[in-house]
Amino acid sequence: MRAAERDWGERRRRSFLMGLAPALFVLAAITIAPGIYLVLTSLTPLNLTLPDTAWDFSTPQGNYVELLEDPRFSHSVWVQVKLSVATVILQLAVGLGVALLLKTPTSMRRFARAAFLIPMVLPPIVVGILWRVMFTVDVSPMHRFMAWIGLPVKSIITDPDLALWAIVVVETWEWFPFTMLMVLAALQMIPDSPLEAAKIDGATRWQTFRFIVFPYIRQTLVIAGLFRLIDSIKAFPLIFVLTDGGPGDVTEVTNYYAYRQAFTFSLWGYGSAIATLMVAGIFLLSWIIDRMTGAVHAEAG
Amino acid sequence: MAKKDTHPTSTISTLLAAQTHRRQALKAALGGTAALATGLHAPAVLSQAKPFQGVTLNVSCWSSTYPKLLGDYLPEFTERTGIKVNYDTPGFPVYNQRADLELSTKGSAFDVLNITFIFTSRWIGAGWFTPLEPFLKDPNKTPADWDYADILSGSIQPMRDKSGVVHGIPWLTDALIAGCGRFDLFKANGLGMPDTFEEMDRTLATVHKKDNVPAFLTENHWGWTFIPYLQGFGGNIFRNPPDDLMPTLDTPEVAQAAEFFAKIVNTYGPEGAAGYNYDQANEALRAGRANYSTNNQVFLALLGAEGSQVAKTSNFGLCPKGPKGRFPGIGSHAWGIPAGAKNKDASWEFIKWSMSKELLGRMAQQHGLGSVTRKSILESPAYKQRMVINGVDLGKLFIDTLGFAEQGHMKYRTVHVYPQANAQINQAMGRVISGQMKAKESFAQAQVNTIADLKRAGVKL
Repeated sequence: MRAAERDWGERRRRSFLMGLAPALFVLAAITIAPGIYLVLTSLTPLNLTLPDTAWDFSTPQGNYVELLEDPRFSHSVWVQVKLSVATVILQLAVGLGVALLLKTPTSMRRFARAAFLIPMVLPPIVVGILWRVMFTVDVSPMHRFMAWIGLPVKSIITDPDLALWAIVVVETWEWFPFTMLMVLAALQMIPDSPLEAAKIDGATRWQTFRFIVFPYIRQTLVIAGLFRLIDSIKAFPLIFVLTDGGPGDVTEVTNYYAYRQAFTFSLWGYGSAIATLMVAGIFLLSWIIDRMTGAVHAEAG
Repeated sequence: MAKKDTHPTSTISTLLAAQTHRRQALKAALGGTAALATGLHAPAVLSQAKPFQGVTLNVSCWSSTYPKLLGDYLPEFTERTGIKVNYDTPGFPVYNQRADLELSTKGSAFDVLNITFIFTSRWIGAGWFTPLEPFLKDPNKTPADWDYADILSGSIQPMRDKSGVVHGIPWLTDALIAGCGRFDLFKANGLGMPDTFEEMDRTLATVHKKDNVPAFLTENHWGWTFIPYLQGFGGNIFRNPPDDLMPTLDTPEVAQAAEFFAKIVNTYGPEGAAGYNYDQANEALRAGRANYSTNNQVFLALLGAEGSQVAKTSNFGLCPKGPKGRFPGIGSHAWGIPAGAKNKDASWEFIKWSMSKELLGRMAQQHGLGSVTRKSILESPAYKQRMVINGVDLGKLFIDTLGFAEQGHMKYRTVHVYPQANAQINQAMGRVISGQMKAKESFAQAQVNTIADLKRAGVKL
């Protein structure tokens, strides 16, 4: 009897595995294999103009040792941290604020919800070009308007103190709808009874938000924030179109630095080492997300 | 009625000699036989005259006047040869990155690509382009009247590998000149085109903001537009290129040039001048939103072309000289066949057609194409007449500028690691212009970074 159960369990496991096999194969082909290639390349000094450098594993740690001593790499990581923290905080704040304003459905608000989604569905390169025009002083409607009202604004993307903030603003404009959508969905899930009870008890709007609404949407905000944090590392197209990493290197984030090494200088080994460290960083972030969302769910449960 | 083809491979035997696909050759033979049998001579001629019928070529080049114009003439090529062309002209940096990646894999995605000047050493030296001697020397593939010798030899020079074998047919030799959209403002103040850096500074100071027009603007590719100033003050990029690639960006001459150039850009430029790429800079100049510039002739000639709001007030001159001389940027771009291209004979057909005297002559005549690489066109009365803008002979200005190449000051640009130095110069100049650092400090940092980049690329210093 036990043997028959074991046999059945074994067959069940096998059939699950068979069912999963195509998906695992696709995953291996499109994710794991290139990932392994990336790591292997990072262990070589591969320079596309020097074919002999391919598969040269004589100093596998070479690129990583060099990265530790490369001030431009550490600078790019610092720029990335500033960009990610600023964009995530702003996206959460703006997304939450707009969602709270639009939570009650009226025809006007439904239209506003749809309109606010537009930036998120535009291709990033289009967003970049749009804002490139906005930031070009002599043709920008924004700059012209400010000049017209007697408050001329200097060029933002060529000012080393403001260029990174320009990227933050555009990134926020493009992606706050993501938070807005998630928060709007969470707001729909709040039951009416605690809100009505708070109203009867004479709670202010702030108290209602702080003690009733916020606990309901906190999980959503954490998840949205962590997703945006991971996505903020991919802010490449905006930087490419708006600042090219400049002025100087004030907007040169890590992926842009990797791109320069690999695509401009053909140093694929070094570029792969940077990319590998980035993947490791994202992996760590994903692990933290998993732990945090697990903790939040456990707390909610 | 199809146009008569001038392709020399008009018989079955030469078809095979031209290494076309066996099936295509058989098709042509069968078509010819069948046509003869039925007395339909015209189709037989057509099938023989278009050995590449049905072939599709993927061709790419960065966006400039000639490649953009060429797109309009492509139906003629298809009609003449039967070859279809997928053609695109992305922006300069996008093209270079795409081509660099494609070439490095020796892939077959492209059949004809532009050989970008700053990548000539890297791309040709690494064997990523096909040697063109077998095509040029074979009379079946290149008839004598195509006249290879007519192409400027100086333009071909950068397209040779170490053993002298040619890998590209240059479609552009460009030269950095000075252009002015609102010369009326210069004249009103009794000023001419400045000949020296000092004169340039004085002139721009006088005309700046006259009629609300900022006096100076150039594109923010400082690794190109700043170099004539750097060299004009006596600096250089490398110690003795191509033999000694030790960077020399931390010299007093470079710092002096950077201070001067940053002052010109910041003081006489429009707000945010450091953010203008070549398209934006050119549009601003053509719209009269900025006045004077030093940049490529191919761009600045458009100040006097149709559609420019300053066509009647534009003027041109040599790039100004510095205390150590005049060092205008000069560069060539060429059509080449990637090593991995599948149908190289068809690719060569495209290059031959696109660089034929007849087509280039028409482009110059009909559209005012200025930067051509064929002597016969440069010297033709029609070209000369067309290239005189507001009394300035741009053709002569172009040839005079090319004359400065004899100094050998452009050697720095064809070394295989120039992209590394170029990126560092762009960043260093960006820091100076935006006020993040003084020139001396910024270029000292660029020197350290360039050395690190060069060593990483395997250069022994």
